[in-house]
Amino acid sequence: MIVSTLKRLFWALILLAAQVLILDQVHPWGYGAPLICSLIVITLPMGTSRSAALLWGFGVGFVADIFAGTAGISSAALTFIALIQPPLLGLMAPRDSEEELHPSFSTMGRWNYLQFIALLLLLHHLVYFALEGFSYFHIIDIAISMGVSYAASLLLIILIEHVRNPQK
Amino acid sequence: MHDFIERITAYVHWALFLILEAFSGFLLFQYNHYQGSIWFTQANTVVGIVHEWEAKALSYLRMPAENAALVRRNIILQQQLDELRHKANVDTSMVNDQWSMVNDSMRLIPARIIDNSVRKRDNMIVIDVGSEDGVAPEMGVLSGTGVVGIVSGVTPHHALVMSILNSHSSISCRLRGTEYFGYLKWKGGRPLRAYMDDVPRHAHIEKGDIVETSGFSNVFPAGIFLGKVAEIKNSSDGLAYELEILLSTDIANLRHVNVINNLIKEELDSLKAQ
Repeated sequence: MIVSTLKRLFWALILLAAQVLILDQVHPWGYGAPLICSLIVITLPMGTSRSAALLWGFGVGFVADIFAGTAGISSAALTFIALIQPPLLGLMAPRDSEEELHPSFSTMGRWNYLQFIALLLLLHHLVYFALEGFSYFHIIDIAISMGVSYAASLLLIILIEHVRNPQK
Repeated sequence: MHDFIERITAYVHWALFLILEAFSGFLLFQYNHYQGSIWFTQANTVVGIVHEWEAKALSYLRMPAENAALVRRNIILQQQLDELRHKANVDTSMVNDQWSMVNDSMRLIPARIIDNSVRKRDNMIVIDVGSEDGVAPEMGVLSGTGVVGIVSGVTPHHALVMSILNSHSSISCRLRGTEYFGYLKWKGGRPLRAYMDDVPRHAHIEKGDIVETSGFSNVFPAGIFLGKVAEIKNSSDGLAYELEILLSTDIANLRHVNVINNLIKEELDSLKAQ
């Protein structure tokens, strides 16, 4: 339990460092930067208590907010998907899966896991950009920023997941 | 009793969710004002140190491109100066005298950008100089290619700059060679496009006309390059032109800037107040 928490913490630090030091500087076509911190919440194993999931989401979002100067935005968005992740994982995991299933391409199947990532990432981006934009006056700009960031994040997360846990 | 406790614990995550979201909401509203955010967010000491390490590493990587831009700009300026000297047939000693006068009233404080963004609607920049280096709120920030923003808050070693890519930014500007002036504003989206509004309909404007600072606000001296007219559009009420400006400064790709300390600004401000 402690070892797996420490491992997860280390993984969270790596993702946060990549987000803050590299990805926050990347702006495809001048629009939104990719957001990959949600991967920490997405990959929480089955059986994680819902309260623990919420604390993970909030904690990671809080640190990301401090470094990106987006106080409250990432923490709200990641807490939201941390509420959705456990029941969604229960719905989308294969019936015969082990109790402590770690979501990945190999454990959930390619298509299932892709849908799982795409859905949670979309919810994260929707909340994040709605809170960041906070007005309907520039809805088209906000939507384009969200679309670009979503596409870039999804590609990057799929790539990371393939490297981290190649499909057998 | 046992049943009751079990029922309560089954819903505890909802309570936790509401508490965490409420706290996020509190942070969102409490710390997203520019001056108020300075301690909590980008300019606090620990975050400042991390961003400084990052900035040091990145500035080496981006140096060639930045140097090339500076050299190009220097050449253009020298050519313009030469051309002007020929045209006006001015005694160069007079030009030098005037320049030293400008220099006496303005001090440039060199700074490095340690945190920057262009993807938000209200973008802010953090630089590595603060009140101990003589930086104060309301000072202008320039790069080799033009205007970058205005200082909005300072700590002893860092300053928070409201970038021109901020929906609250409004910079007094004019069309070079004319007396038509307006305010340069950014409306989000593309980081190289901003708008100058309130240009009268009788003004003769062409695409490619140069937009520069007007010098009215005392934050920036007059004549600092802002960009070129890219599109001429009608304003929303149809009574004036709204000009789409291609900005000269690529904020996303900046590392080195200068803060302008206008030494006579206080004098001018107190005069205006009278």
